[in-house]
Amino acid sequence: MAFALTFLLRRLSQGLVIVLLVGFVIFSLLRIVPGDPVRIMVGPMATEEQVEQIAEDLGLRDPLPVQFGRYLADLARGDLGTSFIKATSGASVAGGRDDGSATRAQVLDLIVTAIPFSALLAGLGVLLAIAFSIPLGIAAGLYPNGWISRLTFAISSVFVSLPNIWLGILLILVISVQLGWLPAIGYKGIAYAVLPAIVLAVELSAVIVRALASAVASTMQENFVRAGIVRGLTMRHMITHHVLRNSAIPMLNLFGAQLGGLLLGSLFVVEYIFNYPGLGLLTVNAVFQRDFPVIQGVAILTTAVLVLINILVDLVSAGIDRRLQY
Amino acid sequence: MSATRRAFLKSGLALGGVAAASQLSAPFVRRAFAGQSSNSVIFASGEPLTGNWDPTSHTILGQINFEGYVFGRLTKTPMRPENPSEIQYELAVGHKVISEDVLEWSLRQGITFHNGKPFKAADVKATFEYASQPGKSAWYPGPVEVEIVDDYTVRLHTAEHGYPATAYILLASFLPIMSADDIADGAISQVPNGTGPFKFVEQSGDETIMEAFDGFYEGRPKIDEFRFSYMGDANTRVLALLGGEADIIERLEPEQHDTLASRSGVRVKRTVSTENKYLHFRCNKAPFDDLRLRKAVCHAIDRSLITEILGAAGHASSSYVSPVKLGGSDIANYPVYDPEQSQRLLDEAGYPRGNGLPELEYITSTGFYPKTKEYGELITALLQEQGFNVKLTVLETAAWLERIYQPESGEAPGHLVDVGWATGSPEPDLVLRPMWHSSQSLITGFKDDEVDAALDRQQAEGDPAARLKLIEEGVMPKLADKVPSLSLFTSVLIHGMQENLEGAYYYPNGPIDLSKASYS
Repeated sequence: MAFALTFLLRRLSQGLVIVLLVGFVIFSLLRIVPGDPVRIMVGPMATEEQVEQIAEDLGLRDPLPVQFGRYLADLARGDLGTSFIKATSGASVAGGRDDGSATRAQVLDLIVTAIPFSALLAGLGVLLAIAFSIPLGIAAGLYPNGWISRLTFAISSVFVSLPNIWLGILLILVISVQLGWLPAIGYKGIAYAVLPAIVLAVELSAVIVRALASAVASTMQENFVRAGIVRGLTMRHMITHHVLRNSAIPMLNLFGAQLGGLLLGSLFVVEYIFNYPGLGLLTVNAVFQRDFPVIQGVAILTTAVLVLINILVDLVSAGIDRRLQY
Repeated sequence: MSATRRAFLKSGLALGGVAAASQLSAPFVRRAFAGQSSNSVIFASGEPLTGNWDPTSHTILGQINFEGYVFGRLTKTPMRPENPSEIQYELAVGHKVISEDVLEWSLRQGITFHNGKPFKAADVKATFEYASQPGKSAWYPGPVEVEIVDDYTVRLHTAEHGYPATAYILLASFLPIMSADDIADGAISQVPNGTGPFKFVEQSGDETIMEAFDGFYEGRPKIDEFRFSYMGDANTRVLALLGGEADIIERLEPEQHDTLASRSGVRVKRTVSTENKYLHFRCNKAPFDDLRLRKAVCHAIDRSLITEILGAAGHASSSYVSPVKLGGSDIANYPVYDPEQSQRLLDEAGYPRGNGLPELEYITSTGFYPKTKEYGELITALLQEQGFNVKLTVLETAAWLERIYQPESGEAPGHLVDVGWATGSPEPDLVLRPMWHSSQSLITGFKDDEVDAALDRQQAEGDPAARLKLIEEGVMPKLADKVPSLSLFTSVLIHGMQENLEGAYYYPNGPIDLSKASYS
């Protein structure tokens, strides 16, 4: 218990520093790249005075440290700011000389609205990936020189080489357009999440299946496996009760360190192709429209989630293997 | 082999799953979520709508398209190349030029707004006076006073403001008529209330829903429901059309046009647009303050190669406005590809073979117009061939948008800029004045007394035929002689649609008239 508390305190404080650093880098980069958000907000025909007035009202002409300090103060109060572009109705207010009637949306609200869609998609993607990868990965690890291992290696090589944009378009063309089995564009129900989830699953499976095969094969070489057999335990018992448990540690690390990032990165691309209204689509549109508060909000949130996942993974790993409680 | 309870349960579940699956036909999920009415049209727009419904609050093409369904106008201008200035009356039934500064409109009776209020002269007065206020909308030439003669007759007066009232003959088709009450109480920003064929129902996220307006003056549309859905990616729009999740899509790339044209079940429609694409010179700074260098650039560019690159998305034209606008016919002295002439002009300007010229930045965009990067590279190569030291800067839309216009102080970036100009009326002044009249010259910074005089002269002419002559024989040859910009081609709008959707009219600036459309 004491270990868990010390561990959490130490890692959470480290994580906070990482989140702040990432936040500052994103904040600064957004203000360096060309593309004035105010010009997008008010449209090309607005006068320079109008642009400058709005930029000053939004604090965009203040020095960078002042802007970031203000942002952090708001963040500490749980305020991620107000979108430059999105209205509460979900419409875009870019390009209009807004008179204030189209209330701009709170970034937190936009994120909270988008998260369930992305969570559903990511969850479905991970489930499909696990359902596909675990039997294949375990079989390949148990028979490292057999045909199943070669097949697994071939499948994961193909999967890892498939660009998600290409696969997404291909799936829409075949499954949705040609066969008419599943809908693909937008979201009107859970069926709309299936095709994008398959794209995510293919990408995740390529990593999971190899890592799992390697972890199982390596655990099978451990002395305790031979010792267990010598002491009369069945191979089946050894695999289900000992080999898989010990193989789980590298898998957990993989989920934390790699799959989190991979999943989040893929979500952005996949949601854009499928016009799926989650966090990815929100972010891609925000980037195109220089919606700084939304980009910052999503960046800070995703960094925090990744940091928390890593902390959680380390904590669980230490629970499984107490040698990791350093 | 002994039967255990666990094995029995497993077998039972497996059999149950197979039986259930066999009862579901393949597209079950799709049908379950199809949802929308079979007599609805889903339009996949390349641009989102704003949350402010005031038609004077923006310059967004997507929103202008939306207004085409909800609002009515005094006139409609189909803008066909064979008769660009054709006028069809909509909320008006006629117009009369009383004098250069007074234009009279007779209004249609028996029209109601979507909220049930009758359409009268007071609405026209409120709309024109509201929209023409300085700083309200960029499209109208200046303030106007509207006199109500009776409930169905109005007179536009412009004498006080130094431009002719006749300017509104063509512009009337580009001004959505709002209810006077909505303007007075500010409701126009909150709810779109017009007299058009479709009535606003709700907006949810990126989808805006409209329904057929029972009281539409030409009869209720056959399409019951219209959904305006934002899909930013062109590939997604094509896939949505092919998958039956969109009925009309817009802003297709030329390759997508070719792909869809060869498929059954869908159709494509090319419409020569109101938009010309220009290579603008920064005329207010060196080196393009020198006319000889501007001409040398124009003669170095083979525009036929550009239209080849554009394929279905480009229409060859040699004028400063689109052929669907008044005065948009080809100009006799328009610069042609002539490398020898280009070399001669470079020599004359003191830069033989381009020697001594500074590096010239050519700014273009990617992701907004079709093929800009591709033909930008072609133009760069053609100019380099003649000795111009050109650097092509390709920017994504937000960064490009920031660099287009002349600032109020200081110099605009770059030396050459690629920009198009699309407007919703055959009125050529919507392009000519913002681009090349010294009072505006938004991009070029061009100032020339002769061009100003020619532009003012044609604007002041009330007789359409005489005005056309002044444009064709005065303004256009003068512009072709001074070349503040080179118009490269006219854009073509490409729409894709379900094959059985018929009766729609596709306007050259984007809106679609679905009031007579139906599924066959």
